Amino acid sequence: MKRHSPGRVAALWTIALVAAAVMLFPFYWMLNTSLKPASEIFASPPTFVSAQWSLDAYRTIFETRAIGRYFVNSLIVAVGSTALSVVLASLAAYGLTRFFPRGATPFVMFLLFTKMLPETLLIIPYFRLMSDVGLLDTHLALILAYSSFALPFSVWMLIGFFRSIPREIDEAAQMDGASVLQTFGRVILPLARPGLVAVALFTFLIAWNSYVWALVLTTDSSMFVLSVGIANMVGEYRVQWNELMAAAVIAAVPVMVLYSLLERHLVSAITAGAVKG
Amino acid sequence: MNARLRRKAGLAFVAPAALFLAAIVVFPLGHAFWTSLHRVRGLNATFIGIGNYARLADDATFWHSLGVSFAFTASAVALHLSIGLALALVVNELRTARTALRIVFLTPWMVAPAVGATIWLWLLEPQFGVINYLLRVAGAITAPVAWLGEPGTALASVIAVDVWRGVPFVMLLMLAGLQTIPLDQYEAASIDGAGAWTRFRFVTWPNLRYLVIVATTLDVINTIRHYDIIGVMTGGGPAGATEVLPALIYNTAFRGNRLGEAAAIGVALLGIVLVLAVVYVRTARLDDDRTVR
Repeated sequence: MKRHSPGRVAALWTIALVAAAVMLFPFYWMLNTSLKPASEIFASPPTFVSAQWSLDAYRTIFETRAIGRYFVNSLIVAVGSTALSVVLASLAAYGLTRFFPRGATPFVMFLLFTKMLPETLLIIPYFRLMSDVGLLDTHLALILAYSSFALPFSVWMLIGFFRSIPREIDEAAQMDGASVLQTFGRVILPLARPGLVAVALFTFLIAWNSYVWALVLTTDSSMFVLSVGIANMVGEYRVQWNELMAAAVIAAVPVMVLYSLLERHLVSAITAGAVKG
Repeated sequence: MNARLRRKAGLAFVAPAALFLAAIVVFPLGHAFWTSLHRVRGLNATFIGIGNYARLADDATFWHSLGVSFAFTASAVALHLSIGLALALVVNELRTARTALRIVFLTPWMVAPAVGATIWLWLLEPQFGVINYLLRVAGAITAPVAWLGEPGTALASVIAVDVWRGVPFVMLLMLAGLQTIPLDQYEAASIDGAGAWTRFRFVTWPNLRYLVIVATTLDVINTIRHYDIIGVMTGGGPAGATEVLPALIYNTAFRGNRLGEAAAIGVALLGIVLVLAVVYVRTARLDDDRTVR
């Protein structure tokens, strides 16, 4: 690559660091506020680094609010959606690439169409449907909904992965006496592992971060997921901002950790579609 | 394996996902359309044909909301694109810490929009919020601003939050696109004595143009449907100033309990998205393997 003068490098770094500071400041402020005692929240001027940082707000939200319960609900829903979506997507993507190579494109078009539907439109009938079959206020209702959002993209992504695995590998396995299902489960799936990891992470993030569906489909506060529980705290008469920010930290940290660990998988998979076209 | 058996095996693989989507997406979509042709009162639905649509046509609230949606989407997308592209160009020039920077820049995008919006509610809080404090110290304002209390600043605020959340994804796409540009093109340009702007104009831009169009369409589709940030921050207020179409649908259905009308607005929004989707599919040509041009 071309060489840059030191001045130019310094200018580039300045822009990058200023932009990073703007992007991250809200998270700093979330963390900072969550560590303050209640008395310091309304201090003027606000303290950027408190002398009395403590974990009191965290203790309070676990003791007096159902934040632990919300966390478990979010986790159940996210893991459930991930499992369902990965199973359905890998089966479909394998079937399409191996048995209907020409049917794959129309099916993918249909999948992309479903990905574009406005969620607030689908919520109306989905709410009715779930109430008719008695699934309101259940984890299953959310798992089904989130899997359906993640599925189109997951199938699309996995089709790319399965296509890159040569058909000769399937044929060799079947020569050796493996059934179709064994070929898929024991030979192809392990080869597609990076794709499966990306799909799983993608679905987990969608399910963990989703808000409006859980808002509509749960009314019993013991069924709230984190995003709904947190947004509900905002509506209270007197907002305890340190507690609210502590809850936000609890919602944000798991995705940040997961994401940082698996960044490479997810980024390459998501950009591949748009960049390759 | 003979052809018939192969077909059966293939169907067995594809059927679970297809049936699942039929039950969870296609059926509800049909049901939504059906609902849009009815007046729904509790459990009673009366068929009124295109009555809901006819009403929308001269409903000032709907047209206002459509306008808000366009303003919100156009400003947010323009800012996502310009800031995202600028940051991608900067990060692409840096040789160290690129992965770390990418993770940092993506943080706003990976956190739940509802949670991000909650954090911003606190930042923008009129009396004790840090933004008013910083602006006052900088001398930009003299009295605290109720950002979400006034129509003009409320719309600007939700746009700003959406920009904060949406820039990272565009940056990611642009960064991936920039990395596919052959370096020898830059070298050739440099040998010819091209400066930074000339290199951008004649090497970067032509290579990236196709991706910019794809990213714009994708971003418009995602932004025009987005509800969570506005749902948490303003619910569409004050006085409908931030009531984009998804918020109007939600409010009509679940606050106003007028499901038929809400479904009709939803179908209208779907129509807009579909037009954009056609543009996207045409541009992206998803069925061939070409790379960025």
